[in-house]
Amino acid sequence: MKFKVPIFDVKNLHFTVRGQKILSDVSFEIYEGEYIAIIGPNGGGKTTLIRMLLGLTQPTSGDIKIFGKKLKEFKEWHKIGYVPQRATLVDESFPATVEDIVKMGRIAKRGIFAGASRQDKAMVEDAMIKMDILNLKDKMVGTLSGGQRQRVMIARALASAPKILILDEPNTGVDMLSQKRFYTLLAKLNKEENITILFITHDIGVIADDIGRLFTINQKATICNDPKKMLSCEEVSDLYGIDAHALHNHKHEH
Amino acid sequence: MTEMLSYDFMQRAFIAGLFIAVLASVSGTFVVLRRYSLMSETLAHSALVGVAVGLVAGYNPLWIAVIAAIGAAWLIEYLRSAFSLYSDAILAIMLSGSLAIAVIIVSLGGAFNNSLFSYLFGSILSVTNEDVLTIMIFGSFSLVFLLLFSKELYFIAYDEEVAKTSGIKVRFLNFLLVTVVAIIIALSIRVVGSLLIGALMVIPTVAALQYRVGFRNTMLISLFFAVFSVIFGMSLSYYYSLPSGATIVLSIIIIFIISLIINKK
Repeated sequence: MKFKVPIFDVKNLHFTVRGQKILSDVSFEIYEGEYIAIIGPNGGGKTTLIRMLLGLTQPTSGDIKIFGKKLKEFKEWHKIGYVPQRATLVDESFPATVEDIVKMGRIAKRGIFAGASRQDKAMVEDAMIKMDILNLKDKMVGTLSGGQRQRVMIARALASAPKILILDEPNTGVDMLSQKRFYTLLAKLNKEENITILFITHDIGVIADDIGRLFTINQKATICNDPKKMLSCEEVSDLYGIDAHALHNHKHEH
Repeated sequence: MTEMLSYDFMQRAFIAGLFIAVLASVSGTFVVLRRYSLMSETLAHSALVGVAVGLVAGYNPLWIAVIAAIGAAWLIEYLRSAFSLYSDAILAIMLSGSLAIAVIIVSLGGAFNNSLFSYLFGSILSVTNEDVLTIMIFGSFSLVFLLLFSKELYFIAYDEEVAKTSGIKVRFLNFLLVTVVAIIIALSIRVVGSLLIGALMVIPTVAALQYRVGFRNTMLISLFFAVFSVIFGMSLSYYYSLPSGATIVLSIIIIFIISLIINKK
């Protein structure tokens, strides 16, 4: 797989705010079909890193290439699906049905003068079916549970037929049962649709077994290529000594 | 009703009023969802500077109002991005500052009379053919923009960052939106008045939001409320010789209160 052009090619990324180092010399590549979790302490730079990958924050120095193109020259943003941290905390009075939100995923792809094509409609419906929310399509988003909202946000991202899904702590405000279901869905998207998954999680205890690689971001990036041996990854056990054991036990319970 | 519409001035007022109801409510949906409500008030006061210049210098006040409002909208956007001041504080400063400038211009020019009063509170008697034409020209341009980009503007209102990451030109569309809102506000001051146009832009949408329906239906309900309150308010204005802006705004506030009560959980 590695002979392919990576989706993200990040080299020597630095980010400093008012003299304070947030990220220092971060380099990595992400290839199609990968399933990667990013962990790290609060304020360690996880969200900043993702914002840089999406072009929302400018790095102090360093290079980011997306599908082989420099970030500034990259235009095919529909290939990247983003689900932000606060996604499940929607304003309850915002006038949006589930379908309204999922349709947003198709907007940037079509021209100004084009209405929704048959393909747009099919993609929207397909995304809702995959996320099991088709029965909710006329419901107002504000009335849904955290877990349902989470699936709506992912369906919106899926509607643009992305190659990669980037999720920033997608489980904020979601109950445990929905979280389990969520990880099953992510794994399914990764395996069956070959969608690359990159997600930040705060809680190492809930990381599923399906992860291919684990990035630990705490100013610097430490990449663990075999999460099964995560406990032996020095940085991880340094950061998450207690939690890592909890994860270990958690895995044994199942 | 037929008697009322047999007068030329009422025909002009109705054409202008209905056009403005459509423009104000459609743009108002985005203004409210983007939390720009106070901005509409500020732009209305800035438009008054244009009116004052027009009255004193003898140009068509509506044209100059459009220019003044656009200038103010761009200045607000610039100040918001250039200085990390509280954006509502910038709006408050611009609002009172514009009003002060307008009053001084009018006082110095000796034009502090009924015609300024009509621009403050709206007047159905004063809508000229030229005004109707100005409203039609600028209004059509604004409406076409809003309808073409309604999906994009809706997405930006929902989540600006996600819209940006999916490839929507957020900054450009924001800039166009404030420009169009400035134009619509300036056009509206003839019929609704600069002190009251903010209400016609904001309240129909806030009333429609009470029904908790999707985007398209919220917009349609808001449009219906705005059109209804303009027709009802202008009729009251005609029969009781009241300023049209005030009667229109009171009509829409009554609709809002009714909407609030019947949708109470």
